[in-house]
Amino acid sequence: MFQVIGGRSVQAARLLAPRSAVLVEAVRGRKSRNDPVAKSKEGRIKTPPPVDPVEMVVLKERYSEYQLIMRALRLEFKEEVLRKRYEEETGSRAEERARQEAEEHQALMAWNDQENLRLLKLRVLRVQQEAEEAQRKKMEVIMQREQQQQELLKEKEKEILQLQEDIKNFITLENLDQRIEEALDNPKNYNFAIDKEGRVVKQTLLQ
Amino acid sequence: MPRYELSLILKAMQRPETAATLRRTIETLIARGAVVRDLENLGDRLLPYKIDKHNERHSRGSYFLVDFYAAPSILTSFLDHLQRDVDVVRSTVLKKDDRVSSSNCCGPQQ
Repeated sequence: MFQVIGGRSVQAARLLAPRSAVLVEAVRGRKSRNDPVAKSKEGRIKTPPPVDPVEMVVLKERYSEYQLIMRALRLEFKEEVLRKRYEEETGSRAEERARQEAEEHQALMAWNDQENLRLLKLRVLRVQQEAEEAQRKKMEVIMQREQQQQELLKEKEKEILQLQEDIKNFITLENLDQRIEEALDNPKNYNFAIDKEGRVVKQTLLQ
Repeated sequence: MPRYELSLILKAMQRPETAATLRRTIETLIARGAVVRDLENLGDRLLPYKIDKHNERHSRGSYFLVDFYAAPSILTSFLDHLQRDVDVVRSTVLKKDDRVSSSNCCGPQQ
């Protein structure tokens, strides 16, 4: 029902010299809006606290003065801040500073361009060299491959020549009989042992 | 054409009959389009075990080796033919591989 108050209304209420130590005021609490009035409060007429006119006048004056001074201070400070900002942007020193910055900027850009040029030259050189290297390697690979093919061809040719030689010893219908007689006359024996140098060591007899 | 090797075990017969069998075999080969390279005789020996073939028990045989070039398609029919020949005890055709390169083998290094 009674709530503790704080804030701006404290000053006015404090002057009313409350009896209790804590400042309280009437507030909707336990009873809701539609509840009937309590029996002990039936004929109660609520009156606001009395105001002392002299005191009120004095208070009003003082308050108005105080607020005036506070408002003025605040506006002063705000104006100072705005002025400082304005000075920053469009003051006399601002132009110099802007000019210096522009100069610096130009100088740095020029230096940057120089560096870019230098690096460009280096890069061009390097890329060229790498291209040459790659070209050379490719040519090398091609040469090697060609060489390998040549070698292969030679091998094949040798084999063909070898075969052509061997053909003279092949068996045909004409020398079939002769070869058979030859074979029957010369039995071959493959049952021998070799040592590490490849010489024949042991040979089993043919029965 | 790939190169094959026919190892032939013939029945222990007299020389003219062996010659006739060999002639027959090689003629069959040539008839099927093979090129016979060489014929080797590995001798008449005791067979490692007694072999039963064509209702006969063989304990001795003559070993022969024929290497030839042929198309792979004739091999099955040729083997069939050899199976049906009465004088042939056992026949095997193997492919002849190229000589292995004489570099160091990848065996355990000592």
